[in-house]
Amino acid sequence: MKIKNRKVQEINTGSMADIAFLLLIFFLVSTTILQQKGVSLNLPEAPEDETSFRRITDRNLFKIQINSNNQYLIEDQVRENLDGLRADLIEFIQNNGIDPELSDSPERATISLKTNRGTDYKHFIEALDEIKEAYFEIYASRLGMTTEEYRSLDLNDTREYQLYEQGKEGVPMNISIAEPDQTNS
Amino acid sequence: MAFRNRTRKNSEISTASLPDIVFLLLFFFMVTATIKPIEDKVQISYPKAKAMTTIQMKTLVRELSVGKPNDNRYGSEDIITVGNRIIRVEDIPQWIIEEKAGLPEAYKDQMIVLLKADESVKMGLISDIQQQLRKSDARKVVYRTLKE
Repeated sequence: MKIKNRKVQEINTGSMADIAFLLLIFFLVSTTILQQKGVSLNLPEAPEDETSFRRITDRNLFKIQINSNNQYLIEDQVRENLDGLRADLIEFIQNNGIDPELSDSPERATISLKTNRGTDYKHFIEALDEIKEAYFEIYASRLGMTTEEYRSLDLNDTREYQLYEQGKEGVPMNISIAEPDQTNS
Repeated sequence: MAFRNRTRKNSEISTASLPDIVFLLLFFFMVTATIKPIEDKVQISYPKAKAMTTIQMKTLVRELSVGKPNDNRYGSEDIITVGNRIIRVEDIPQWIIEEKAGLPEAYKDQMIVLLKADESVKMGLISDIQQQLRKSDARKVVYRTLKE
């Protein structure tokens, strides 16, 4: 047998970049990065029977109602918009029993949001957003941060998670989403 | 001064690492992105909000869209879609069961429902959905909103 004297053989990789670019462009065009941001809420457990409802005394309950014309009834006062609601909520939650009209303690304070079947989703979200923002403002101010900084805390980081929990401690988000009345008034 | 003229053979820039760089970018996009579901069936303009949180556990998220249908064939009333099919409110518990079956055992009760609803949807329908979610024990809900 004759052994040919060959130089070191290599596969030409010059076109590899082109192939990869092609794939890259395909994925860039065909995909969207998932945008999973929003207002989060934990729904209450399904009631097993009517008697299991927890009674909340009136002073610990902050009532927000929205009717089918998208008008607000906040603590039994008619309002056209949500201006000043956040300040009222913060005052209500952090009352600690000083004002007899407002809550006993932040733990007991409950915000009730009740809508009508004809209410627009948009107004529900606006009201829910104000409530959550009020809580975030309380949490952030306890840590001396802005609400933006508080919300951007990384929960996977142990130290930042502790800060997050520290801000929340003793002030649970008691948001009650009441079922709308069946009548379409 | 005397310069020594070195003889250089390869004065080109090496492009051997270019494929590696491009592959890295490719993998990044493959991991962070998901293929867009075929044509949304409903029109949605999201409501605006400030108090937003980002979902950390993306694998636990299941989407539920509510809005006016794009196609006249489905009428002009608000419809609920999951993935690419239209379901009724009563079908939601069944859908939850199906989706939960696909999750690892430890995360079954932590499923997050991302509710993508149009801002003009009436609360009657939204609360019907919420009642169904409560019943089927998928109580973590995130209302999809845009930054104000």
